[in-house]
Amino acid sequence: MTSLPLKSSYKKPHKAGIGRFFVLAALLIALLVVLLPFAIVIINAFKTPEDYATYGPLSWPTEWSIDGIVEFWQRVDYSQKLLNSLLISASVAVIGVLLSLLNAFALGIGRIKGRIWLLILFMVANTLPQESLVYPLYYLSKEFDLYNTRFVVILIFSVIQSAFGTYLLSSVFSTFPKEMLEAAMLDGCNKLQLLFKIIVPVSRPTLAVLFTFFFIWTWNEFFLPLILLISNDRQTVPIAVGVLQGQRNMEATLSSASALLGILPCFIFFLIFQRTLTKGIAAGSVK
Amino acid sequence: MSTSKSTFRLSFMLLLVLLTSILAACGSESATTAPSGSTTTSNEPRTIKLWHYEGANSAMGIAWAESIKQFQAAHPGVTIQFEEKGFEQIRQTAGMVLNSNETPDILEYNKGNATAGLLSTQGLLTDLSDVATQRGWDTLLSSSLQTTARYDDKGVMGAGKWFGVPNYAEYVMVYYNKDMFAKANLQVPTTFAEFEAVMDAFVQQGITPLSVGGAEYPAQQIFYELVLSKANREFVNAFQLYQGDVDFRGPEFTYGAEKMAEWVSKGYISKDATGIKAEDMGVAFTNGTFPIMISGSWWYGRFSDEIKGFEWGTFLFPGNTLHPGSSGNIWAVPTNAQNKELVYDFIDITMSQDIQTLLGNSGGVPVNADASKITNEKNKELIQNFDAISKADGLAFYPDWPAPGYYDILVSNIQELIDGSKTPSEMLDAIAIPYQEHRATLGK
Repeated sequence: MTSLPLKSSYKKPHKAGIGRFFVLAALLIALLVVLLPFAIVIINAFKTPEDYATYGPLSWPTEWSIDGIVEFWQRVDYSQKLLNSLLISASVAVIGVLLSLLNAFALGIGRIKGRIWLLILFMVANTLPQESLVYPLYYLSKEFDLYNTRFVVILIFSVIQSAFGTYLLSSVFSTFPKEMLEAAMLDGCNKLQLLFKIIVPVSRPTLAVLFTFFFIWTWNEFFLPLILLISNDRQTVPIAVGVLQGQRNMEATLSSASALLGILPCFIFFLIFQRTLTKGIAAGSVK
Repeated sequence: MSTSKSTFRLSFMLLLVLLTSILAACGSESATTAPSGSTTTSNEPRTIKLWHYEGANSAMGIAWAESIKQFQAAHPGVTIQFEEKGFEQIRQTAGMVLNSNETPDILEYNKGNATAGLLSTQGLLTDLSDVATQRGWDTLLSSSLQTTARYDDKGVMGAGKWFGVPNYAEYVMVYYNKDMFAKANLQVPTTFAEFEAVMDAFVQQGITPLSVGGAEYPAQQIFYELVLSKANREFVNAFQLYQGDVDFRGPEFTYGAEKMAEWVSKGYISKDATGIKAEDMGVAFTNGTFPIMISGSWWYGRFSDEIKGFEWGTFLFPGNTLHPGSSGNIWAVPTNAQNKELVYDFIDITMSQDIQTLLGNSGGVPVNADASKITNEKNKELIQNFDAISKADGLAFYPDWPAPGYYDILVSNIQELIDGSKTPSEMLDAIAIPYQEHRATLGK
């Protein structure tokens, strides 16, 4: 990677010392603490129920069994759930970014009247608890015959996510170099060209970060999809994981298997996009 | 840099394509679901949407899968479209789903005032009173089982119209580890005094006798068992069905709370129990850490499958004629359901002796089984114990039923009783207030 020239601009790192060792040790311990729950999920996902019942959750599996994972996959038709989650999250990420972009163009670059109030409005929308939205959304979706469709979930989350996106992008755009905009306008750029030829390419890293966040946030949403998606073949991964929680009994190995399958796609997605994430975060510093 | 830009564009384009295809798919899906079976003639193929939340390997799951088979064999041209749901999902969304045209035609629903009772007052459940008499369900179910099937116009269970049909039962009993009993040279206790003596013997050997999950429902069921040991049916009806006054400082509650505190001080229940969840309680019994566990029949099938290291058995809480327990969850028919006659046929099949015997043989507590056809000795014991309770009209329901939110109130107050931060009388006063407040709002 081309990270070497960047390094030179940093302050000179401390010379090796006992302090650094302790910091490293503390970080390692913190890492272990973070990873421990995942480790427990993983070892229990591969246990048989008898094994779990006899030796408890913390023991090493006596034999590695994928029965739990296979059973969960078949029981909830996991392939379908994955597809649904992928469709919903990807659509929300795309629409959410587009909406945020257009909104932020008006608010951050266009500096329309009353933009402060609009931003406050978006901020409030962003902090509203989803529980308070449930009944209005339920009645509206029924009114428009969209209840129990993936479309309505996409619609709702695109708006919810873009509220945050608008807020973030507007503040990014409000610091957009004026000279660049003026130069573009002088060269005869119209507004659409200004947005897609000048602003989008420059703020691409930020957009990529938004896209990744929107995807992961939507993927992990539980409550509204639970309320709005009724048929099993339209439900998403987190709801499928919830099916296993019985009234009084829980099947610990199956739950672990489902948790593992639930985390995995998000984890893979994160691995793929983590480069855009780190780039996007660093992008602000390069001026 | 330029390559990453083009991959970005490419992926963006791909997503757009994906998106448009979904939108097309979403458009079509609402069309396919719209009016299924609104105009049904008898030879048209019909579908019944069925929801329940019992695991496929549980007694109910097995029995109901067989019921679906039998139903479809008897009704050619009718398909049952079964969807397995989570308990939480039905609990959280039932009110909304039943009020829409996406409603299932029949569903398993949680019995009780706050669930089935509430929906019945909102007009979302079909009144099954006539069907129940026509099909004889009212004679199959004993009066304490019917309690959870019938709700009055305020949604209070016990009397009024039928809004559900319970298909199985559940009750609280004592599970014990036969090997540990044999090793300590102890017999199954038949009286309350003998039960305490058994626990004393374990304490003397340095073993905590009771596996208790104080962070969830198990502790309140033990407390309730102790209350019931001094109670009669009148007390239960007063407490659960609001038929008469309840005195939380009366002899029943006082005895229960003081006995519970005594059991902790004598070491029958560990103070650490306050942080234990029901699941961990079961696992601790399964791996032989504790010799005794007081909990419900819902553990039975699981213990049969998972306890390998020792012999185990059950007995009813010694000395009690009343036990925590009730009907299981109920079949409910939404008001907006289609093909209700077919749905009643299905419920009828699940109530048949055939299916009920299968339910019993699979480790559940049936309400209408042929006892002679229950083959497994253990299952026989489970069902015989239930019959004994049922004959004595001994189902006393659960302590958290009478008021909304009472479950959490009981959990936290019994935790405080166990760890000693509340005395028995303080704890009783604390649980009395929300109960009496709720009764006041009902005007009962």
